[in-house]
Amino acid sequence: MNESVTPEENRLALTPLHAEHIRLGGKMVPFAGFDMPVQYPDGALKEYTHVREGSAGLFDISHMGQVRVSGPQALDFLQYVTTNDVSRLVDGQVQYSALLNDTGTFIDDITTYRIGEGQYYLCINAANRHKDVAHLLREAAGFDVTVVDESDDTTLLALQGASAELLLQAYCDIDLDGIGYYRFAECRLAGEQALVSRTGYTGEDGFELYLPNAAALKVWGALIGDGAVPIGLAARDMLRTEMGYALYGHEISDAVTPVEAKLMWITKLDKGDFIGREAVAARKAEGARQVLIALKLTGRGIPREHYPVLVDGEASGEVTSGMHSPMAGGVALAYVKPEHASNGALAVEIRGKAVAAERTTTPFVRSRVRK
Amino acid sequence: MSIPADLKYTREHEWVRIEGDTATFGISDHAQEALGDIVFVELPEIGRVLSPGDAFAVVESVKAVSDVYAPVGGEVIEVNEELEGEPEKINTDPYGSGWIARVKVDGGSTELLDAAAYTTFLEE
Repeated sequence: MNESVTPEENRLALTPLHAEHIRLGGKMVPFAGFDMPVQYPDGALKEYTHVREGSAGLFDISHMGQVRVSGPQALDFLQYVTTNDVSRLVDGQVQYSALLNDTGTFIDDITTYRIGEGQYYLCINAANRHKDVAHLLREAAGFDVTVVDESDDTTLLALQGASAELLLQAYCDIDLDGIGYYRFAECRLAGEQALVSRTGYTGEDGFELYLPNAAALKVWGALIGDGAVPIGLAARDMLRTEMGYALYGHEISDAVTPVEAKLMWITKLDKGDFIGREAVAARKAEGARQVLIALKLTGRGIPREHYPVLVDGEASGEVTSGMHSPMAGGVALAYVKPEHASNGALAVEIRGKAVAAERTTTPFVRSRVRK
Repeated sequence: MSIPADLKYTREHEWVRIEGDTATFGISDHAQEALGDIVFVELPEIGRVLSPGDAFAVVESVKAVSDVYAPVGGEVIEVNEELEGEPEKINTDPYGSGWIARVKVDGGSTELLDAAAYTTFLEE
């Protein structure tokens, strides 16, 4: 294999598992500044099928960022910079949340982990890492809190699928069955210190594993050696789109607020002051400027990102994420004008032709996360 | 990588099999490999008259949408409707059951490569 590095590749960051992806035949692509496997030799469809049909799929998502927030005012700080109510978290619990601008639009969507009193851990999107960290450091100036970007030191794996728990349990020194959905525990994994959470982005039961980089190869190798199937970015995107999960840069961005993105369930306007609160409250009062809907084609085709969405023949919005779901057909998330959220004949324009569609609900296929 | 000697190829990775006054089109093994899992095919209408180089079909993989161009000109007389239900035939049998369309040739042609020239082209 030709391993020469072009100048462009040279600028890409590598995860601690990069050589493993090459060894496994991964087709590498630039993604959020990293050289990442989009698929392995079996191909995206087979990888997707493995995860949906009960194997344990193993994803290297080390490109994602991690930030440790600690100190006497860590809770106050996180209440102020995130949208969800951090005071509701108990030790060992995870919460889906967001960072907003003053204008109420998204800086990022994140997960918040409560490790203990005054000790929290955030998982953030790779593409937003530097923006998020700069924002958090700037806002932290007014609080007795320490913000540390641990992204470069942390490997993040996801093990997803019906057999994930059985496979992982053999390497873990605590009872995984005791970790509920959106709960986590610190433990030893293949002898290495790890944080294991029952979270994911696939709609299957499974875990996300936070490891020091030095433990990455050992844990990855043990799981692959025991039958975990490596899964690339293409299958990961299929799995998350089928669940209707939002992805930054698609459904959420600095152009929309939680009102448009249907994420008011993670935006607690009554918890006290937080960045973006006034703007979101105002937008809620005046009404969404566009509305995120789920649709399914009734005609043939694949609704893809940026394809125009028509209502009664007139342009109303566009697809933000779309796919051919092996189980559900042509499905998509799309923004439309508020008056079209539930009214009007829907179509997606595909190569100049209007293909009929109908409104539906997410997930597009049944979620099997453990509740 | 399979490149049958009895076919002609284009630089856009279509293949064409010319038999008398009909020509059958598909995409090469290299093309299907590069595209990955094909999940949707849009076929041309019967009777459509293609000039050489016209985009006549669309193949979509999980991540990409690709036009397929006519290696030679002619009127579409047959399309492989099985691809509507089983687009993966392009992956598994690109030169056989993964054929896309058949035309009645009218004499016009793009620059076609024989198997040896196409092999060289792929190596460049």
